[in-house]
Amino acid sequence: MLFNKRTERYFIWLFFPLALLLPLFLEQNTFYVSKLTSVMIFALFVMSLDYLVGRCGLITLGHAMFYGLGGYLFWMIAPEYEAVNFWVYTFYICMIAAAVALVIGFLVLRTSGIYMIMITLAFAQMTFYFFSDSIEFGGNDGLFIYVKPETSIFGLSFFDLDNPTHFYYLCLLSLFNTLVFFRLLIRSRFGRVVDAIHENPGRTTALGYNIFLFRLMSYVIASALGAYAGYLFTLQYGFVNPSMLAWTTSGSALVMSILGGMGSIYGAVLGTFVYEGLHYSLEHLTEHWLLFMGALIIAMVMLFKNGIAGYMEKLLEKRV
Amino acid sequence: MTTSLFLVQLINGLQYGLLLFLIASGLTLVFGVMGILNLAHGSMYMVGAYLAWYFVEHTGSFGLSAILSAAIALLIGILVERTLIRQLYRRNHLDQVLLTIGMIFVFNALQSLLWGNDPLGVAVPEPLSGAVPLTEVLEYPVYRIFVALLCVAIAALMYFMINKTRLGMLIRAGESNREMVECLGIDIRKLYTIVFAIGVMLAAVAGVAAAPMSSIVPGMGEHILITCFVVVVIGGMGSIKGALVAALLVGLVDTFASVLLPQLSSMMIYILMAFILLLKPQGLFSS
Repeated sequence: MLFNKRTERYFIWLFFPLALLLPLFLEQNTFYVSKLTSVMIFALFVMSLDYLVGRCGLITLGHAMFYGLGGYLFWMIAPEYEAVNFWVYTFYICMIAAAVALVIGFLVLRTSGIYMIMITLAFAQMTFYFFSDSIEFGGNDGLFIYVKPETSIFGLSFFDLDNPTHFYYLCLLSLFNTLVFFRLLIRSRFGRVVDAIHENPGRTTALGYNIFLFRLMSYVIASALGAYAGYLFTLQYGFVNPSMLAWTTSGSALVMSILGGMGSIYGAVLGTFVYEGLHYSLEHLTEHWLLFMGALIIAMVMLFKNGIAGYMEKLLEKRV
Repeated sequence: MTTSLFLVQLINGLQYGLLLFLIASGLTLVFGVMGILNLAHGSMYMVGAYLAWYFVEHTGSFGLSAILSAAIALLIGILVERTLIRQLYRRNHLDQVLLTIGMIFVFNALQSLLWGNDPLGVAVPEPLSGAVPLTEVLEYPVYRIFVALLCVAIAALMYFMINKTRLGMLIRAGESNREMVECLGIDIRKLYTIVFAIGVMLAAVAGVAAAPMSSIVPGMGEHILITCFVVVVIGGMGSIKGALVAALLVGLVDTFASVLLPQLSSMMIYILMAFILLLKPQGLFSS
């Protein structure tokens, strides 16, 4: 289960410089810049799920709840026709989502395994129907965000959110920061305890750790980051709608995370890019892309036991 | 709410609950005996409904169509277990989730490839198309009563099979200790194939039975899958008795909520599930 640190380093040195340079080649084509931006946003979301499922062993099918909440919260707390500060609202949204996660996590973490999968799903479905059945929140159509926030810090503004390339770099920065944050978290004392709980909850309890508290903390962190991803999604497209909260959103995020290599964190980025890349190219080739997508997923489960990250590590191990 | 309206809702709720039981029982059987979490179970319900439509169109007989659909579902079950599911017994639940999500994609693609994406409908078979009077002004369709009775009959048959036959004994043994059953010289792989195929067939039969009552649309499998998971989890994973109680509970709650609390109706069964799991984290009848 422990993923090789070297492969992660290779990935970081390969992916981020490439992603940094890519918009220079796509200057004329804002479509691809926007497409890549949305994949990066989702990769951030998958990464937060990957930490929860792969590192903490807390399998949830309700993570989309926080993704959607990130969007709806922004609509709720921001004034409708006034540009607010991006960083301030990032802080607000993450804090409110964390508070919600604290309450829900307190209830959900009392169960485990398949029952936890189902109870997280139950809460997500309740949120889904709450927003999709209510007129104030726009029902099934969702809501528009009319004004995008500005991004100045101390009077300096680096990003103009209406410019797709600027937004691309903001999302890349967010993805990079999240990856670094998880790297630090996993290597910290806190992360070691979380790994120990995943490995053997009984023994970790015997060592004197309150495992419920560590799980709750992890749940809160991952949920706040999930909400941040939803917030970015809402800013990119200028709307929120209930499909962000649908269980299929949680399901596909889970697929991407397993595909990438559960618990490897950087694998979440790989999984999301491979999945979305396949989706995009198959959709353009054939109307029945779902058939090939399904067959590919089945083939990947059969062939790669630890996802793409696990497969890459095996390749590198052999060569050295 | 008047007494007659109450009566109709009660029968509706029970009938919906029984249909849910038919699907959920296969799901819980496969999980209980084989430890496999089959997300593609809802797809088999969808396949059943589409097959029913296809054979009714071509043979004109609903009864024949039902038999053919069940037989094909049984074959699909055997084939899927032999080729795919068998590889996953030693893997964790997450790999099973991924594999069965892949299967959902394939079944959905095949459905749109073979039968298109327009809603389809099957006529209620002629001998069952009437209605029985409940009170002076209210009638209830015979077909729905027939489906309810069919579900009861299948439930009784399953009870008999699991508790009184040799196969049922093996299923119960396999549930409690796989290695021991193998040591006693029983081919557990064959047993698993049979159980999986029966589970798939139950879902498909439910799809056939539901076909004349609702329109046949893409995505019907995923919708029913989530509801069935709610049922199975409330009842306790792997418990068939629990699935029966939970299915009736969910059927009644869902039906009455849509009459009494329309603004909360879609949320109600999830509220019920969260409430039950918080009180009993392993479901009502956990083993």
